[in-house]
Amino acid sequence: MEIKKFQKLASTNIKAKELIEEGASPWTVVVSQEQDSGYGRKGEKWISPKGGLYFSVILPKNNIDDLQLLTILTAFVIAKIIKEEFNIEPLIKLPNDILLNGKKICGILTENVIGKDVKSSVMGVGLNTNTESFPGLENIATSLSREIGRKVDNDKILEKIIEEIKKQLEVISK
Amino acid sequence: MKLKVKIKNKECGIDILEKDGKLLIKVGDKEFVFSLGEEKKEEDAICVDSNGECFLKEIKSFLSGSISEVFLKEGDAVEKGQKVLTLSAMKMENEIVAESKGKIKKIMVEVGDKVKEEDILIILE
Repeated sequence: MEIKKFQKLASTNIKAKELIEEGASPWTVVVSQEQDSGYGRKGEKWISPKGGLYFSVILPKNNIDDLQLLTILTAFVIAKIIKEEFNIEPLIKLPNDILLNGKKICGILTENVIGKDVKSSVMGVGLNTNTESFPGLENIATSLSREIGRKVDNDKILEKIIEEIKKQLEVISK
Repeated sequence: MKLKVKIKNKECGIDILEKDGKLLIKVGDKEFVFSLGEEKKEEDAICVDSNGECFLKEIKSFLSGSISEVFLKEGDAVEKGQKVLTLSAMKMENEIVAESKGKIKKIMVEVGDKVKEEDILIILE
């Protein structure tokens, strides 16, 4: 697994798709400290200031059903890690959002390139870890640090999430 | 087709027949209906251009979903691998790319349209 770290990107999903074109291998992970054009499904904006964990994983080739399942399982994986690491109770808003105390904390977006079959896939995750404020969005968004009152380790959380996603994909691809 | 089977040392009669295009299996006085799993295989329409090169005449939908973006317009040339539209399906965003080069004769869908698997999205010439 190769982790490519950036200070600032338009979007980690966009960068990951560019890297696929340049021949990047599956399980390459693109991480950015901030995104200025982060997006979710149907182009919805994902506010991505410094402090949050924004990353995309280049997935191995898979069939479309497994990719959909993996997206859902990733939401479960992240919720489980949040619960176990920080002893708080997240709520999964299926298929690809996670809430804490009724406010959004994480979004997952899988993007596929399809011809006659699936040619490539990228799964992007925006997790509000140490985001301090959400101007104009205070009622609908929160972060881990705001909820637990201390900063969290983004690198450690990323490592755990990737490890779990790999495990899940191995199980569903059998 | 009537048969006898032995289940747990007990013999019972089963009858297998087709009814309304479905498979009906009678076991004693119970009936079980199964849809016949027809293999639907549609051939892709292929054209040959003036240089004698083959190209697919249609770009079809691989999935059921809704069209979220269309990147090209009628009359545009399209290269193999070029992104033609985005389809939101199965809670994922799916960029549909051309499998062969050609020129867009007709775009059959617009943003917001719902499509089913195997629907024709774009016709090439």
